[in-house]
Parts: sequence; C-alpha cells; structure tokens
Amino acid sequence: MTSAPTPEKDDGAGLGLRLTLPAQVLVLFISLFPLLMQLYISLTDWSPLSGMAWPRAWEFWNTFANYLDLVSDDRLWSALGRTALVMAVCVPLEFGLGLALATLFVDDFPGKRVAYSILIMPMMVVPAVAGYMFFMLFQSGGPVNDILSWFTAEPVSIAWLSDPTLALIAVMAADIWQWTPLMFLILLAGLVGVPDDQIKAATLLGASPVQRFLTIVIPRMKTIIVIALAIRCIEAFKIFDTLYIMTGGGPGVATETISVYIYKITTQDLIWGYVAAIALAILLVLSLLAVWAMRRMAK
Amino acid sequence: MQRSLPFQLFRYAAIALALAITLVPILWMVSMAFKPFSEWQSAGANLTWIPNAPTLDNFRFLFGDSGSDLIVALDRTAGKPILSSLLSATIGTVIAMTAGTAAAYGLSRFGSGANLPLALIQLRLFPPMAVMIPVMMMWAFLGLMDTWWGLALIYGIVTLPFAFWLMKTFFDDMPKEIEEAALVEGCSRLRVFTRVTLPMMAAPLAAAALFVFILNWSDYLIALLLTTREWVTIPVYMASLSSSMTGQLYGAKAALGLIAAVPPVILGIMIQKHLVRGLTFGALKQ
Repeated sequence: MTSAPTPEKDDGAGLGLRLTLPAQVLVLFISLFPLLMQLYISLTDWSPLSGMAWPRAWEFWNTFANYLDLVSDDRLWSALGRTALVMAVCVPLEFGLGLALATLFVDDFPGKRVAYSILIMPMMVVPAVAGYMFFMLFQSGGPVNDILSWFTAEPVSIAWLSDPTLALIAVMAADIWQWTPLMFLILLAGLVGVPDDQIKAATLLGASPVQRFLTIVIPRMKTIIVIALAIRCIEAFKIFDTLYIMTGGGPGVATETISVYIYKITTQDLIWGYVAAIALAILLVLSLLAVWAMRRMAK
Repeated sequence: MQRSLPFQLFRYAAIALALAITLVPILWMVSMAFKPFSEWQSAGANLTWIPNAPTLDNFRFLFGDSGSDLIVALDRTAGKPILSSLLSATIGTVIAMTAGTAAAYGLSRFGSGANLPLALIQLRLFPPMAVMIPVMMMWAFLGLMDTWWGLALIYGIVTLPFAFWLMKTFFDDMPKEIEEAALVEGCSRLRVFTRVTLPMMAAPLAAAALFVFILNWSDYLIALLLTTREWVTIPVYMASLSSSMTGQLYGAKAALGLIAAVPPVILGIMIQKHLVRGLTFGALKQ
C-alpha cells in the first residue's frame, strides 16, 4: 500500500527502496543460494546418481579432495589453455579488423547506411544458428572448400572439422565472423566522437594521417578501447554455443574450451561435487581479476 | 573532408570484401533452406550455390508435412519449440525490464540500491556454466525443470544487468524539470514515475526491451541444461534434428535456423542506434 506522503517530508527513500527490491531479491536469489549450495557440494563426492538428495551430500564428505584433484586435472588445464589461445587469437583480430573497418566509415559516402546495416548483422544472428552456418560451410564438400578450389583450380576436399588444428581454426573463424561487427560498432562510435577541430589543427601543423591517428585519435579513444576489449575478453572466455554446435569440443578434445569441458563433465560424467569445485575456483579467480581491474581503472 | 580517388576506390573494395565475408554464411543458410532434399548434399563439382529447384518443402517438413521425398517424419514438429522460445524470451524480457526499470529509477532518482551496479556487472562477468549446477538443483527442487516459465525466470535474471544499466543511463540523461513540476503540483513520487516518467520514456523502454528480447532469444546453453523434452527452445530442438536414416537434416535445420535468425536481425536493425549503449552497459552512447 502506498500511503500518500506529503511532498515536503518525503525524500523518496522509501519509494526508492521498494523500487529496487525486486532486483535485489533476484540478485540475492541467483547469487546467495547457488553460491552456498555450490560451496557445500564442492566439499563432497556427491553426484545426482548417488541416489540421495543433495542436502544429504555430507555423507560423501571429502573436505578439500576435489580442490586438490583439480590442480592435477590435465584436461582442465588444457581446456583453460585452449580457451586462452582462442581469446589471444580472436580478440586481437576482431579488434584490428573492427578498427580498420571503422576508420573507413568515419565520413559519409554513398551506400554507407546499407553497408553499415549489413556489416552489423552477424552479431545479431543467434549464436547457435551461427554455429550451424559454419558447420555447413566447413563440410568437406561445402562452400569454403568450393571457394578455395576457385584459387587452386582443382577440387579441394579438406575435412576441416575432423582435423584437430583445422577444427580450432574453423571455430575461431566463426567467432571472428560473429564478433568483429561488435568491435566495429563500438570503435566506430568512439571514432565519430573524436573532435574534428583537433584533427584539423594537427593537419595544419603538418601531421601525417598515421601520426594523427596514433597521437590524437587513439589516446582519445583509450577508455572505449579498454571497454571494447574487456567486453570481448569476458565473452570469449565463456565461448560455448557456436563452438559446441560446430564440433562438440572435438575431434577428441581438440576444441574443448573451459565451458565445453564443464558442460561435458556436468552432463556426461555427472561428478557434480567436482564440477562445483572447478566452478567455484573459476568464480574466485574471475572475482579477484575483476577487483584488480576495477582498481586499475579507478587509478 | 575531400578524399582522393585512390582512397575512395580502396574503401569500396575493402567494404565490398567485408560485405561478401559477412553475407556468404548467411546466404548459404538461406539457400540451403530452400533446397529440395536431393540438393542438400550437393558437393564438390556439383555444389549448387543457388537451389536448382527452390522449394518450401523444408519449412513444411518442420511443421509435420512429410509429403516430400524425405522418408523420415519428425516425431515432433517445430511448433512447440518456437512457442517455447517465444514464451520464455518474452516473459523473461518482462521480468528483466520490470525489475530493471524500477531498480534503475530507484537508483537514479533516490540513490537506493547502490550495490546493484557492481553486483549486476559481476552477474554478467561470470560464465553461466560456472553456476549452472546449483541452478539446475534449485530448478529441480522448485519444479521448474523443462518448463517455459522456469526458463523465463532464469532469462529474466540473466538479462537483468542489461535492462538495469540501459534504463539507468536513460533515466540519468533525462531532464528532471518535468518530474519536479509534477511534484510541485502535488503528485506523489510513485505517480510521477508511473504517469509522467514512464510515458516520456516509452521509446527508450521499447528499445531496451527489444535489446533484452534479442539476448533471451539467442540463448542456447541455459535451455540446453534446463529443458529436456517438453519445452526445448529452437536452438536445442535444432541441434537434435538429425536422424539415423538421413544423417544431418541439412535443409530442415537451415529452414529452422532462418526462422530463428530473422526476428533478432530485424529487431536489431530497428534499434541500431541503441546497440552500442546496450552492449557496453551504457558506458558509451552513440
């Protein structure tokens, strides 16, 4: 019930509290319970197959055994390494291509609006569908090999998705296709925001286009570049949808990233106590990274 | 600025190349969606870029008509997964937008919930995979497994950060004079919010809601873990579309992919000018 407050006395704090309540409840609901449950399960060998409801997981208590196991889990570390590799290749390429494209779009030219609308389409395609698109493209009798055969003048039949290295390249290609537009979009917004007069002044002083770009445009865009890179790094670390549809993490474990690995041991091995330990460890490391990054940003 | 001719030519060439790379995967799927069964597996020298005999059979097949030259029939049609995607994404958007808009207003005007901006960013930072086990346990406990309403609830929470941050920047940007005038005239603060502020913000609200809807509609991982049969969404259903008799149902999958891809692309182009703001949590405005 809303009592009718007198405007002079009411500073809105009561209403503010009520308005923020639903969001607070949702945040608490999704952070507090899962975190506590996860912590509890992670200290046990409990599995949904153990025939007991999770509150009785203490019967499988193993203290820190799960956490000790993960230190020597080679598959976990190679999945993390592979995720880092995907990030190290994709994010810089997406950034470079996005920035290069954005510089071409700063001033007007005929057809700009249409080209812009088409170029940002990939990031709006449902990632699972994008994964299926690239699954089709990289079939051995598919369009990618067909296009390659135009250059080699003889039929090409590379089995992209069943070769460990090529599968990884194909998966990265899909990620770059889908997310370069995001970089393009953000960086273009940044480029357009760089004041014209400074560039004109530098031009009058005889600065070359490259000099102008490096000494005026890039420093001006520092915050935007940091935001764009941070967003893409966070999302690339989570990479799952496109990749899982294309290769399912295979062949073998050749394209198994951290999300795919966790998904597999969650749904196939069902060792939930252990999965909870991995998940908590990742959450902890990411939180520390986030705090460190925020501190640096604040400086 | 006047540009030299070589630069113009270079620019058009580069953009043409980028457009080609952008469009080939999309057009290949569109082409596949209209290919008859006999052309699905066309390969090598016989590869057809444009269907020789375009047909709507793939779409008919998805909705239960196996009258084409396909031997198999689907044990369930694409109708219910489409319904599931629509319901869960829409109601999830309503949840995120309601909670997000109210909280954003509370923070923007009254300074309430100062913990929310960071808490919500953290929610977005963590890989969903790292909290899915407890979520699956909670959802099973609450009877929300394999239901569209269970999906809608988790979607509402997952996209809450975007709804909140987008609306917060919109409210921060809004001039406060009109609200103050309404207050002076004796409206309660709640009335000012519902009768003055919200109607004024109709356009930004709609843009934010469409943005959140696209995100919900795009989910695959969460639906993969929280739905099993009855209420699987389009991406989950699509991944299951293959049979031992025909292998990959290329054409049918492409047709379904097209159905899934069209709404977000159209909505995304509609809200183009808000995309940057949405994707960067309001840090950047176009």
